[in-house]
Amino acid sequence: MTPNWPVADFDPVRRLRVLAAGISGAVVAERAIPVPFDRLWRIVSDLEHELGTFEVDMRNITLREVDGRLEAHARGRLGFRARFDVQLESGWCWMQSRFLLIGIAAVPARGGTLVAATGGFRLPGRAALFPLGVGRANAHALVRLARRAAEPDRTGPGGAGEE
Amino acid sequence: MEPFADFAPPPHVTDDDLSVVVRRAQRGDTVAMSSLLARLTPLAARVCGPIADADGPDATQETLIAVFRNLRSLKDPSACQGWVRAIAVREAVRLAKRAARTVPVDPGERLDRIPSRRDIEQAADVSDVLARLSPEHRAVIVLRDVEGLDESEAAELLELPVGTVKSRLHRARDNFRKAWGV
Repeated sequence: MTPNWPVADFDPVRRLRVLAAGISGAVVAERAIPVPFDRLWRIVSDLEHELGTFEVDMRNITLREVDGRLEAHARGRLGFRARFDVQLESGWCWMQSRFLLIGIAAVPARGGTLVAATGGFRLPGRAALFPLGVGRANAHALVRLARRAAEPDRTGPGGAGEE
Repeated sequence: MEPFADFAPPPHVTDDDLSVVVRRAQRGDTVAMSSLLARLTPLAARVCGPIADADGPDATQETLIAVFRNLRSLKDPSACQGWVRAIAVREAVRLAKRAARTVPVDPGERLDRIPSRRDIEQAADVSDVLARLSPEHRAVIVLRDVEGLDESEAAELLELPVGTVKSRLHRARDNFRKAWGV
């Protein structure tokens, strides 16, 4: 008979807190958004069409798969270009370029979804961020995400409203 | 954001060897850190769940935070899993003690029958029975019966003499059997 040993739950928001704890200067913003997880994550995971609605410095994002890995090429509002390594799965989005880091996690919660965000400017070659303003920036990103999630679904090619 | 070109390719985690992932994470590659976290979480959750009970998720989180805050201090990446296991036991016992949910067992009832590993494996709901043991006893049982460590390995991890581990295991299984009602 196989023993029924209990295994501790560990959700994506906890995962984000752990990773942020290992990155000097990283701050985690968390927000309960009164939208079902499936709808919220449909928006977050539609990086090409939706990331710029809440990470406002990101524009023109294109995703492609390279050797089984996901890459994003982005152009910023001020013209910078970045190539990100991307990990994207249900409730988890982690994007790292040489100079930028974006992490978003979500888990179903009572009355909606608990979302957490971290990230900012990286110090290249180190698990460290420039610490100035990162908490405020991540909190603002979640405010914008909540606002976007409260809007009606968008229709059109690739929009988050499409199933 | 300041404009700057950002096309220098960062290192990628494609090697299955955990040591390679550890080294990349130690060098500050946060994608490697994320991959490493995904690999270490099952181990931490497996150890913390039975020991810390309802505080298992918090114990797992505290374990992994300690791991990632101190990752650069790990000199031998091949020792990573043993290192994580030791931190997990320590954090799980700490949180279980803090929760003070342990029901003390009458010392006079300890030494009548010793349940075997098979007895424990046949328990229908291990959680209910574990909840009646002390955190230290749970730790010894988990290391032996979940993690498969022998008494010497468990003693080394717990930084205790082998004799103490044997004694704790004996009492833990005894208490387990009493709580289980066999």
